[in-house]
Amino acid sequence: MLKHLGIVGAGTMGTGIAQLAALSKIDVQLYDVNETILRRSIERIKADLRKMINLGKLPHEEFTAALERIRTRTSLPDLGHCDCIIESVIEDIRVKKDLFKHLDANTKSTAVLASTTSSLSITSIAALTRNPERVIGLHFFHPVNNAVLVEVVKGYKTNTETLDRAIEWVKLLGKDPIIVKDTPGFIASRISLPMFSEALRLLGENVAYAEQIDNIVKKVGGFSAGPFETLDQMGIDSALAETESLYDQSYGEPRLRPHPILKQMVESGLLGKKSAKGFFNYEEMK
Amino acid sequence: MPKTPSLLTEKHDLQKVKVPHSQESYKSDKALVYLVGEAPMVEQYAELCIAHGYDVCASWNKSLAKKQNTLSSGIIISSTVPENTSVAIELTNIDVLTKKKNLEKLAKALPETAPILSSSITITATEQSAWIAGKHRLVGIAALPTFIDKSLVEVAPTIYTPMETLEVVSRFFLTLGKEIEIVQDRIGMVLPRILCQVINEAAFAITEDIVAPDDIDKALTLGMHFPLGPIEWAEQIGLDQVYAVLTALHTDLQEERYRIAPILKQMALTGVWWKQSTTHSI
Repeated sequence: MLKHLGIVGAGTMGTGIAQLAALSKIDVQLYDVNETILRRSIERIKADLRKMINLGKLPHEEFTAALERIRTRTSLPDLGHCDCIIESVIEDIRVKKDLFKHLDANTKSTAVLASTTSSLSITSIAALTRNPERVIGLHFFHPVNNAVLVEVVKGYKTNTETLDRAIEWVKLLGKDPIIVKDTPGFIASRISLPMFSEALRLLGENVAYAEQIDNIVKKVGGFSAGPFETLDQMGIDSALAETESLYDQSYGEPRLRPHPILKQMVESGLLGKKSAKGFFNYEEMK
Repeated sequence: MPKTPSLLTEKHDLQKVKVPHSQESYKSDKALVYLVGEAPMVEQYAELCIAHGYDVCASWNKSLAKKQNTLSSGIIISSTVPENTSVAIELTNIDVLTKKKNLEKLAKALPETAPILSSSITITATEQSAWIAGKHRLVGIAALPTFIDKSLVEVAPTIYTPMETLEVVSRFFLTLGKEIEIVQDRIGMVLPRILCQVINEAAFAITEDIVAPDDIDKALTLGMHFPLGPIEWAEQIGLDQVYAVLTALHTDLQEERYRIAPILKQMALTGVWWKQSTTHSI
């Protein structure tokens, strides 16, 4: 029976999954090394639940019940009894590899060990574990509470039992799973990549300006945001890091090659909305 | 006027194009639009022009026996280009030889005052202008099935296009309820190049068996907020059109990144559509 969920990392993603699980009546052990981060995470969940109550989306009595289902932890062994552990720490392969080695050694052997990575290889993350067959990817989309889809990523050694149980977990959380092989960018990021890489090439080749490209993509393509608006929103540095990671993992597949414009912008401190300047200027919004 | 391309910073010293000077004059005169090219773009543009008060005469590269009954009654089907045509639109992306013949015919039949809009996503408008006399009349547009009912159209002037022609083209599209975005005259222009590359990537993913084909559209629409998934888009645009754009991009840019997924090529050339194929064993 799937009952206990462990979450490692109480950042935006970890917090979102904890809230989702608590609302799905699942007991959550939310771990982070930093107590302040855990406190902030719980405050964020409280604020979100209050909003839901005000909008009539959540009965008042569920507020306390949901919060009681979440236990904050600063010691990893406290997650040892969990049926599934979902990791959402920094996107650094060394950190994740070490973490999964530790989780593999200190959790019950039937537990599913899942990573929320959006760009790293599940096979690599599982490489230092003794039981790579129980390691799997669960790529949630932003915002966790509203996005209905989860990519369930099968590593090279992930077994069918782990896959079936991971799918069960995803469904328990009210999400729609799609099964994907462990390849650079999985499926959604990889297929949407040309939207950004071609837009950057069009800009680099001076075929059109960024605002023109966005305008065309929105008005003809029917997208709610253009590629450059989206890059500014996600952060140019994050976009560069993700595309560099995909390019490296694919051993230089030309279709996944990052564009020099991104690097120049990062080196010039033009990081998008967060630095008030990216492809567009947001200084007035400061 | 929009800012790009740089070639259009000054007016060209060419013969002025005499065309109606306001959108009203198009309508009050019941100006005639002549359309020639591939289905379904010809009928889509024909319906759009008729709906906005134009007289329309249309011709297809291949016979359209099945669909003629479904066209609005005002649309005249004729391969003869009427002398009183105000605007001609050539809508061929796949068969470039036929496109050349169509443009040569239009250029001969039409007065030098009538602008010729020509789809320029698989061959640039500038290259097309080399085929005809009265080059100042020719302007490239991004035409693909499904793009025609949108509120914006990409327009690419050639190196011969004077501002006057562009202004006329802009007014013409305004009467069809469309704004224009002027971009450089390059293969694929903007959205066709982006979308066809997205579809190509989806085809590679199918080839590599990364995901069930039915889940691709789900991943893109639900995960990445695409209005349509690449498979649905390929179906609406037509794989033969997508293949024509990708082939032109690969030939023009000569880069590995524009290599076409083998499965997409096979499907386009055999006419086996994506969804039908996925029910088999891809």
